Amino acid sequence: MTRTPPTRTPTTPTPPVPKLQRPPAEQRYAEELEELAATDTAPRPPGWSLSLRAARAFIVGDEQLGLARKFVGDPSLIDRALVTLATNRGLMLVGDPGTAKSLLSELIAAAVSGDSTLTVQGGASTTEDQIAYSWNYSLLVSEGPTRRALVPAPLYRGMAEGRVVRFEEITRCPLEVQDSLLSPLSDRVLAVPELEGGEAMVFAREGFNIVATANTRDRGVNEMSAALKRRFNFETVFPIGDFATELDLVETEAAAALERSGVPVPPSRDVLEVLVRVFRDLRSGDGPEGRMQSVMSTAEAVSVAHAVGIKAWYLRGGESSAGDIVDCMAGAAAKDSAEDLARLRRYLEQRAPKRRSEHWQDLYRARNLLPG
Amino acid sequence: MPLNDRLRILGVRHHSPACARLVADTIDRLGPAHVLIEGPADFNDRLDELALEHAPPVAIYSYMSAAGETRRSWSPLCDYSPEWVALAKGRRSGAAVRFIDLPAWHDAFSGVENRYSDAERRYADATERLCREFAVDNTDALWDHLVEIAGPEGLAERLDRYFDLVRGEAETTEADAAREHHMAEWVRAALAEDDGPVVVVCGGFHAPALRRLAAAGPSPWPEIPAPPEDADVGSFLVPYSFKRLDAFAGYQSGMPSPEYYQRLWDDGAEAAADALVELIAVRLRAKGQIVSTADLIGARSLTEGLARLRGHDRPGRTDLLDGLAGALVSDDLEQPLPWSRRGALTPGTHPVLVEMTAALTGSRTGRLHPDTPMPPLVAEVQATLERLGLDRTGPLRLTLTDTRDLERSRALHCLRLLAVPGFHREDGPAAGSDATADEHWVLREDDGRLPAVIEAGVYGASPGDAAQTVLEHRIEEAGADPEALAGVMFTAALCGRAHLTDRLGRALAAGVAGCGDLAAVGTALTAALALWRHDHLFGTAGSGLYAAVIAAGVDRAMWLAEGLRAGSGPADLGRLKALSGVRDAVRHAAALTPSAAATAATAIRIAGDTAAPPDLRGGAAGLAWALGGAPEAAKAVAGMSAPERLGDWLAGLFHIAREEVLAEAADHGVVHAVDEIVGDMTDTEFLLALPALRQAFGFFPPRERARLAERLVALRGGGDARSLVERGRVDPLTVAAARVLEARVDEVLIREHLTAATEERR
Repeated sequence: MTRTPPTRTPTTPTPPVPKLQRPPAEQRYAEELEELAATDTAPRPPGWSLSLRAARAFIVGDEQLGLARKFVGDPSLIDRALVTLATNRGLMLVGDPGTAKSLLSELIAAAVSGDSTLTVQGGASTTEDQIAYSWNYSLLVSEGPTRRALVPAPLYRGMAEGRVVRFEEITRCPLEVQDSLLSPLSDRVLAVPELEGGEAMVFAREGFNIVATANTRDRGVNEMSAALKRRFNFETVFPIGDFATELDLVETEAAAALERSGVPVPPSRDVLEVLVRVFRDLRSGDGPEGRMQSVMSTAEAVSVAHAVGIKAWYLRGGESSAGDIVDCMAGAAAKDSAEDLARLRRYLEQRAPKRRSEHWQDLYRARNLLPG
Repeated sequence: MPLNDRLRILGVRHHSPACARLVADTIDRLGPAHVLIEGPADFNDRLDELALEHAPPVAIYSYMSAAGETRRSWSPLCDYSPEWVALAKGRRSGAAVRFIDLPAWHDAFSGVENRYSDAERRYADATERLCREFAVDNTDALWDHLVEIAGPEGLAERLDRYFDLVRGEAETTEADAAREHHMAEWVRAALAEDDGPVVVVCGGFHAPALRRLAAAGPSPWPEIPAPPEDADVGSFLVPYSFKRLDAFAGYQSGMPSPEYYQRLWDDGAEAAADALVELIAVRLRAKGQIVSTADLIGARSLTEGLARLRGHDRPGRTDLLDGLAGALVSDDLEQPLPWSRRGALTPGTHPVLVEMTAALTGSRTGRLHPDTPMPPLVAEVQATLERLGLDRTGPLRLTLTDTRDLERSRALHCLRLLAVPGFHREDGPAAGSDATADEHWVLREDDGRLPAVIEAGVYGASPGDAAQTVLEHRIEEAGADPEALAGVMFTAALCGRAHLTDRLGRALAAGVAGCGDLAAVGTALTAALALWRHDHLFGTAGSGLYAAVIAAGVDRAMWLAEGLRAGSGPADLGRLKALSGVRDAVRHAAALTPSAAATAATAIRIAGDTAAPPDLRGGAAGLAWALGGAPEAAKAVAGMSAPERLGDWLAGLFHIAREEVLAEAADHGVVHAVDEIVGDMTDTEFLLALPALRQAFGFFPPRERARLAERLVALRGGGDARSLVERGRVDPLTVAAARVLEARVDEVLIREHLTAATEERR
């Protein structure tokens, strides 16, 4: 028997427009930001491109203004984050991986400074060069240390231009690198000892601040110093508390991801309901199987939903079933931990059969697809 | 005057200061002829009690006890409750004041503990949408935003619109309908009686329905429904506390943070915020937390910024809390901020946040006017305490062989059972092996005593009767669970309710015989044994029943122990206790159990069973030893020398045969054998064995442990055993550093081929 390949509607050839995989927030939402800036009459903190209220409306959404909700979580978190940035403390977003910390910091930077690209990505090999400034060595050799030879990094630019600087995964940097933020945060000045005169000091312009993110699972890799902690206000970002909200989010995000992958059918809501429920159960660790070591985040659920959709469309040419969740989860969610795999198996064997619906039974029947 | 001008229905949120202010203003302005309040109508003839000079918070406590069911509920009132204000203002203005809701025993209140809770679950959809629209976290923040912090202008209209909206979407239940129908009858009767204005204060959820139903025309004053014939119902005022008010969780909960709203009511929002920042700072500093001036400045600027962003001209509750949390907590949180969710604190909440919410809950307790009527139990308890000389504080020693002391003990146990605080037993006959006739109690004053006694009044008119009712409830709850039954039986004996213990003994013997859990059988066995041995003290009739439990318990315990299979794991105290129960039964109740020799033989079998868990094997070895068998424990230790099993095995042995181990000769005993095994262990093995070994030796009291240590030290050439645990002569860190240094020296020596061994090889 031959399998019929998935039928696709023939597309009319259009001239290829180079599309960015993921434009920054200020480009994705350029229209919204422009309109907000034009209609925003509330007082703006010095150096901000929007008022606090407009920035909040941009992030949490406002139906009357036609703004979509871009971050799902407690609105008070956004309030506190924005007010913090308007004071002289930095903002530290902490939380489990996949809780949309980076998205939030991107949105905040786009709303506050209209630019989310001044970003330092923290890691074991991050050095001060990548944070503050480095040199163009040919110019340095020929001219000596001049402003022209200096290559500004995000912190330098943020201070000089009065913008918000994002520092991702700050706790993955070595301590001494983290501490280079101390004087920019407390004295609002960056010393460039190689230069002379007025250029030796970069005083932060109004509008400069730092939004850092840190992962709670990375704790202990590099603890932050107390001095640096004191210069940040901490905000913990939690997984989405409400089932329906999380399901909606997974549905929208997975549909968008599938569309990007050329799959025209959206994922089945019933299957997603099962998927999200499984993730939430395993995340809370209330059941006999205990808490998973891997991150059962909403982002992870979206990627499993994406994989399920792709598998159903390209491999089977049809609708996805709850059974597909199992083998997609084994790789995505259980990673390489044998214990997590055992937890997942226990969950499938003990909890799945107790739920009545057809899709849960599918899931239960597919339990043998788990490797090992 | 047309009806609409005469009738003013104020839909309020219970415990809302802003609503209370609105109620006060409305009564002042209208000078109503009638003030009708949502509250138990069967309390109407006792409103004078409420008007006495109490210090709120107080509550109307209502109970109903009928066959097989006890229902209790509270209607708490604070200074700033709209209902309390309506009562006071209404009386002062000369209006006829009445409660108009159904009595608390009515089926409409089934499952309701707090009459003045928010009926939130029924309109979650509407409020969720509003929360989204106003960008707030939950209904409490929404309420502050719309009502408490917003100015008083247009408040009444705002409230009406709010409640119309939530009511419009809510599902109503039969209970709501019954209550609203009843309340409407009162309203219609009040309107019909004269031409004066009528003010109704009721939960906002009911206001729209009442407005509709009240238009149905005149009606006579309604009959207050009569309680079911077999039911005992009643209501009393109790002193209440902010802690209790804030402890209602889930659907019973109402406005949170009473201390905050009290201050908001007394002094306004700014003063409340300032006072609470101070209170929180003081509390945190008292707990050794660092709260610097810079932190407080940071908190204040955050609070002000948040208030401005959220459009408040005065800082609200969440502005204050958010600001403080931002400035004071520099860690990641395990649980979300408590005020961003509703309900009680979850475990894992950051300690600073716990202190903050506790400060906002406050510790105020109410006081009743001395003339307030009380249920008979209150006077009865007072009289009993006086008669028995127990109306004092401090430690108390009772000898149960003394008749008067026994009576005192029983009274105290009854009060303890009724959860009346302030009576603490430090020591006395317990479900253990020791036969004692002495009890030590500590009596102290407690603010919670009066409310607890009033509330216990539902169970009976004297402490003994009330205790009996509670015990009967517990028996029902226990079902056939031997562990629970044993607990109830022992408590019943302590309270002197002998006939109950008879009934229980029979149920317990049956329960034990069918039970598959060794620990539960052990609990029942020890309880029965203790009662049997203390029989002369408790004067409980029918010792034969305990004897039956003991016989069944020993049989069952040995049978279960012999069949128990499990791998090595941490020692399970429950099953060890069961074995010690068997030991005591065979020793002290020999007539009821198989002979010591037979039991010891079974125990030796279990001890030798390689499939049994190590702690049980050790325990069985101990049991055989304690019962005079020839266990050769020292030899058996050698067979259990694996580091992951040794400690657990010893835990079993020491738990059962502690005295035997102590009595052994020093140079060939168990301890000596253990010493040799531990001496041969590598560092890693020792670390592996250490936790379980510690637990095992923990069964010896410190004095006995010292004796063992002295013996070992003597065996190794003398010296003072105390010096082993003395601290301070050499800093452990120095020792560790020295070890590291030595290891490094060794390493270098080996690398450079400078050790004796390499020398020889050359």
